[in-house]
Amino acid sequence: MSQFIYQQKQAWFSLKQKPSFVASVLITMGTTLGALLCILTLAYILIFKPLPYPEQSKLYTIEHNLIDAESRIDGRAFTYPNLMHLYQNQTVFSDAALLYYDARVLTSKNNQPTLSTTFVTPKWFELLNAKMVIGRSFEVTELMNTFNPVAVLSYDTWQKEFNLDPNILNKKVEFIGISYRIVGVIEKSFIEPQLLAKGLKTQVYLPWDYNSISEQNRKEWGNDDGNLTFIGKLGVNKTVKQINQSLTSLINDNWQKQVSGRKFFKDWSIGIKVHDFKSVILGDSENTIYLLLAGVIGLVLIACSNIANLFISRTAEQQRELAIHASVGATQKKLFYTILSQTGLLMLLSVICALVLANLGFYILQNFLSEQLPRVDELAINVFTLCSAIGCVVLFALFFAYLSSKMINYHALNLALQSSGKGTGIQVSKQTRKTLVITQVAIVTALVFVNIILFKDSIKTINQPSGFNIENMSHLVLGVSPAKKGEQDSRAAALLELRKLLLSQPEIEAVSQSTSPLMRFGTWALMQNVTDKRYTPGGKYIDHEYFKMIEQPLIEGDFFNQGDVQNNNPVMIVNDIFAKQLAPNGSALGMMFNGDMQVIGVVKGVQLPGQSNIRARAYYVTSYAKNMMMLKFKPGQDLSRTQVVALIKEASSQLTLFGYSSLNKSKEKMLFTEYTTAITSASLAILTIFLAAIGLYGILSYSTQMRQFEIGTRLAIGAQRNDLIKMIIKDNAPAILWGFITSFIILLFIFVGLSDVLITYINAQLLSILAITLFLIGFISLFACYWPLRTIINRPAIYALKGSD
Amino acid sequence: MSQATVNTNTKIKMTNISKIFETEELETHALRSIDLEINAGDYVSISGPSGCGKSTLLSILGLLDMPSDGEFYIEGVNVTDLSLDEAAEIRNSKIGFIFQSFNLIDELSVFDNVALPLRYSKEKMSEQAIKTRVNECLALVAMSHRVSHKPNQLSGGQQQRIAIARALVANPAILLVDEPTGNLDSKSGDQVMDVLEKLNENGTTICMVTHDPRYADMARTQLKLLDGAILTTPDIVERVKAAV
Repeated sequence: MSQFIYQQKQAWFSLKQKPSFVASVLITMGTTLGALLCILTLAYILIFKPLPYPEQSKLYTIEHNLIDAESRIDGRAFTYPNLMHLYQNQTVFSDAALLYYDARVLTSKNNQPTLSTTFVTPKWFELLNAKMVIGRSFEVTELMNTFNPVAVLSYDTWQKEFNLDPNILNKKVEFIGISYRIVGVIEKSFIEPQLLAKGLKTQVYLPWDYNSISEQNRKEWGNDDGNLTFIGKLGVNKTVKQINQSLTSLINDNWQKQVSGRKFFKDWSIGIKVHDFKSVILGDSENTIYLLLAGVIGLVLIACSNIANLFISRTAEQQRELAIHASVGATQKKLFYTILSQTGLLMLLSVICALVLANLGFYILQNFLSEQLPRVDELAINVFTLCSAIGCVVLFALFFAYLSSKMINYHALNLALQSSGKGTGIQVSKQTRKTLVITQVAIVTALVFVNIILFKDSIKTINQPSGFNIENMSHLVLGVSPAKKGEQDSRAAALLELRKLLLSQPEIEAVSQSTSPLMRFGTWALMQNVTDKRYTPGGKYIDHEYFKMIEQPLIEGDFFNQGDVQNNNPVMIVNDIFAKQLAPNGSALGMMFNGDMQVIGVVKGVQLPGQSNIRARAYYVTSYAKNMMMLKFKPGQDLSRTQVVALIKEASSQLTLFGYSSLNKSKEKMLFTEYTTAITSASLAILTIFLAAIGLYGILSYSTQMRQFEIGTRLAIGAQRNDLIKMIIKDNAPAILWGFITSFIILLFIFVGLSDVLITYINAQLLSILAITLFLIGFISLFACYWPLRTIINRPAIYALKGSD
Repeated sequence: MSQATVNTNTKIKMTNISKIFETEELETHALRSIDLEINAGDYVSISGPSGCGKSTLLSILGLLDMPSDGEFYIEGVNVTDLSLDEAAEIRNSKIGFIFQSFNLIDELSVFDNVALPLRYSKEKMSEQAIKTRVNECLALVAMSHRVSHKPNQLSGGQQQRIAIARALVANPAILLVDEPTGNLDSKSGDQVMDVLEKLNENGTTICMVTHDPRYADMARTQLKLLDGAILTTPDIVERVKAAV
């Protein structure tokens, strides 16, 4: 033990003499291991860690497929009656719950925040073991059709909206006219399964009965809604295939009976698929994780080769000290331990830095990428992270110690003393140096190439012209209660009043009562008259101002006019993509659908941010009761949220502000993934190039130093500087070339192995990207060849010969 | 490079050459006002105790280092203030070096080591011409039988003979020899000295640094350095005597 402490002390004192060496190791290894630990923990959570729910492997959710006559899946969301039929008649799940994801404006608070709200049946709490920190969850009193207006808050809502008020159970929350008594607050540690979307966190839970589906839609067998969700705990011992079959027949048989009279659904069917929670939550993130892992491992490898080089140089530098150790009786093993205690200490310090950085990484992932990656809330330094950290310390300490000690020829150590530095010391073999250069160039080329591809692709998506203008525009969503019969007219009047008020503001240039062009298009079922051909284009409700406002060009026919909107005329406008589907060689104008709906115009299709193609779309006349508006401001003008709230209050007490955002901001949000990819790939590319520059410089600088004497000799016999630059480049070129070849092989494996994922990236542009990458790495390599050499060749030759002779 | 009005027979002429090494705290006068003239066919030895400036003088003679002051001509060409590349060119064409530790390049064969100065030469030679010249030089040092060997497969004496061949290959104006026997046993040392003597007899100009009085005596002109200054210049004395 005392020997161990002695060695650690010696290691510490020895390292203290070399602060720049220690700093280089800590910065390089700390940063890269930090990234490694962060991504490893994320991978562990996503791929191996069980979900934090009781009997989590038995928890399933259901995908409801609406299958058209050509056996294509037309929609993947539940229709309300099918969901109810499943809930009431299924026998596969021992426990089941229904969810409806939505958002509501909290009108009982002055600032009227919009809260994400989930309507659930009581079993939801039991299935997920959602414990209360105060009060109770939903119980039999909140079973379906009890209409008991109570609410459960998330811990976060209790904290943000009610300052952890201990009397919360005496309070109520009011959402558009209905007051809900708060009966409980969920524990802080509860992690909600993000089934609908990544990063979606429910702020208030309300009983199922109050969900937003209108009375009419609760009976519609053909209208699906993506916010409807079913979860259940498997209660039978059957295979997934058997369960799918039995549930499909349960739902489809009933559905066929219900839609038997409707022409549109002739030969359509329903398919049911169950998915375990884990796969739903993980979604398509598995590939992202593997890509991240590959990237970070690449970085670690580069860092390793850089640090290996530093350790090798240090051992060469320490040869005299080691020789003295040997001369007073240190065995080969003891020398290894001397080096190991230094590498161990350095790796321990690096891993401590890495853990701090990993924590920072968790923070970044939780705060900026929670909508891109699942389960980031569970990220924390856990047993796995610590074990990985310890593993890293042991592995890298042993690796660097082994590498360093391998250089020591124990039997030749005494020569180091005798020759007193006359050139017979420790040297890194040419082969080791060559291998280091090859590894470095191979990894760097592959990483930089991949990152440039990702960067270019995301920049292309960010900059691609959308075909419409959203400058100076904002989208306004108004909070309204689900319209009951007879209320439509009064809401329309209130909205008309608001529209007038908005138009009278000096800041506003135009108002359109339409859905934002950036919002998702709904799916519409259209059946062409005469031919009975069915189509399901994307659909959007707009008024007569919409196309002019966003400057979407008309190709043929007409835009809607004010009369169409006032009279709610059965007319529609299609985009050129849909028009081509309808009439490949002629014009779609005048075509009739669903009885009396006529195509009166064709507009040029627009591309939504982040989407790779333009889809078939149709536009319908909006109703004056539609709760969405687009505002176009005069240049440099704007209205604040408070101003808008004031105008809404002035217009009508029926309306609340549900959402208000600039379209440019929404566009940026839609392009968040691309922005993140662009920034991450650019930073990674720069970091890689930076590390490569350091690494290659280190190796080539060392090898040039080793050859100082030889270079001096060449200078002495008349070599000019250019001759020597050419010689060093020529000597290193094969290793660099081998590095390039190895990277091609790595890339080829990646492209072949993941061809289905990477198919979109494979095009002629790859060649120019490859050329750029090769140029960059080539330039760095040339620089790394020349820079260390310049100190030797730019001085009189005697300096190169001194010290060695 | 300006031409100086000197005797065409003069290979080297140094006037008032000094070398000062400066550090922040210290100024060391390695050479003080050295005047030196070496003529064609001379065999000059420079000897003196350790630290007297022998190696510095040889470095300046060989254009491996720059003097701090003074003027220096090689074959009438002023080489005092040359750029690094100009100096390299002169070294290549006019100077042949022989080092104490041979300074052969281990990766290259004997042939390639000897051919190296020709490959750096401004006048490009054909491969055949290089081959002929290298073989000639190897024959001069009796090493023709070791053409394909690597230097580390040879004995010290053999390596030094290869180094001599390399120094001769570009037909230099002068051979600068630095302790040629320092790393050799006495038998090999004698052999090397024989080679040098023979070369001189055949007209090669040689300037040799050595601390071994036995070898220093082999030179016809013996200079002794002490604290950076030349103690005696017997040759000049002799010439003065002759003139009187």
